[in-house]
Amino acid sequence: MSVNEKFSAIRKGLLEFLVLQIISAEKVYVADILKQLSATEFATQEGTLYPLLSRMRREGLLDYEWKESEAGPPRKYYELTAKGREQLRETLEYWGQINGTVKKLGLK
Amino acid sequence: MNKVITINLGGNAYQLEEGGYDALRAYLETAAVKLLGNPDRDEILSDIELAIAEKFRALLASHKTVVETKEVAAVLAEMGPIEAEPGEAASPGARAAGATSGTGGQKTTGGKAAESSGSPRRLYRIQEGAMIAGVCNGIAAHMNIDPTLVRLAFVLLTIFWGTGLLVYVVMAIVVPEARSPEEKAAASGFPATAQEFIRRAKEGYYEAMKGFPDRKARREWKRQFKREMRAHADQWRFNWHSYWAEHAPIHPGMGFVLPFLSLLQGAATVVWICAIISLLATGAVAHRLRHSRGAAEIRAARVLLQSGPAAVGLVLRVFHGWGRLVRRDRGPPVAGRALFSGAARRDSQFSCFRPSGRG
Repeated sequence: MSVNEKFSAIRKGLLEFLVLQIISAEKVYVADILKQLSATEFATQEGTLYPLLSRMRREGLLDYEWKESEAGPPRKYYELTAKGREQLRETLEYWGQINGTVKKLGLK
Repeated sequence: MNKVITINLGGNAYQLEEGGYDALRAYLETAAVKLLGNPDRDEILSDIELAIAEKFRALLASHKTVVETKEVAAVLAEMGPIEAEPGEAASPGARAAGATSGTGGQKTTGGKAAESSGSPRRLYRIQEGAMIAGVCNGIAAHMNIDPTLVRLAFVLLTIFWGTGLLVYVVMAIVVPEARSPEEKAAASGFPATAQEFIRRAKEGYYEAMKGFPDRKARREWKRQFKREMRAHADQWRFNWHSYWAEHAPIHPGMGFVLPFLSLLQGAATVVWICAIISLLATGAVAHRLRHSRGAAEIRAARVLLQSGPAAVGLVLRVFHGWGRLVRRDRGPPVAGRALFSGAARRDSQFSCFRPSGRG
């Protein structure tokens, strides 16, 4: 099993926080999110992202508004709620801790 | 050339090739099943439809209005499979159903391919529309007859000889049930040649339709197409008759029996005519109504009712024969004419299926 495969579950779990981070910067719609992720290890597809976004909205982390688009049907633009921003802050903090732990353990 | 199906995605119409439509439908159905139990199911599905619509829109231009099958496949691959969120995943049963319906799309196409390449016909029990275990249904599909007739035969066998029930029970146990699409296709097993014929005819028809500039030419051509189809049917019938005339299984006793059978049939016809005449003359047709009120009118109506279908059939038959005579006299040389000049062509050439010849 390659490292890539071993981390697939972890990547999946982290996706939510990356999405939070992407949305925190500006209002985006799904294609923007996919594009930003596409160059990374976290490249994903609509089939995964839509269910994830809908759950995050249900948990009150983000909200969306409809915007007309010249090139087709209207789009949903997502933005973070206060709760989402708080969640992102906590997550980044926690991630910092984990990162520190990973670097520290086993090294003297 | 492919059939095009128009669909509505997010309030806009899109035209997809038939294969693409099937793929899209399978994708959305799978998605719907996977999202069972998700409170935002409908919203996610509509999001997905909109996303697909946007991708389709990007593929189309003023000179390109149809999304091809392979483009639909590419778009769906780009969308990726719908992944249920942990915790709100559908129940395992529904998940399994989703998985099978997902592969179902491919399976059906596989089944279709197998069918058109001539799947062997096999005896299966068919549960759809079955009364007990689908045995009669299966036999009917296998022999291409009405299931009611088969059921009737079983009932008669049971009443008169008592074997029907036994045979039924044994068959219910021994004969497998048709479950997969392939098995169902094999159960009714349409002859591949007939399907191929229809497909070719359709293809040639629509291909040729495109080649005509104005309506008049098209109508004239349509007329000719119908004529040739009819001629083909005539020819087919002729082939069938001439084949069986040569290959019919001949029993040595037939030469002796056949004249007697004809005589018998003739006698039966005479008896039948006499019976009808006597019934009409004595008014026994309406025996039960004889003593009731308004008997005369009712009797007349009843006679009319009873003889009506036969009369209509007779008229139709006369017209049919007349139509054939007329057809034979005019029109271009068609396959049907060869019949009557004695040189039956076994392979009918569908000249009208080749647009280049006329268009």
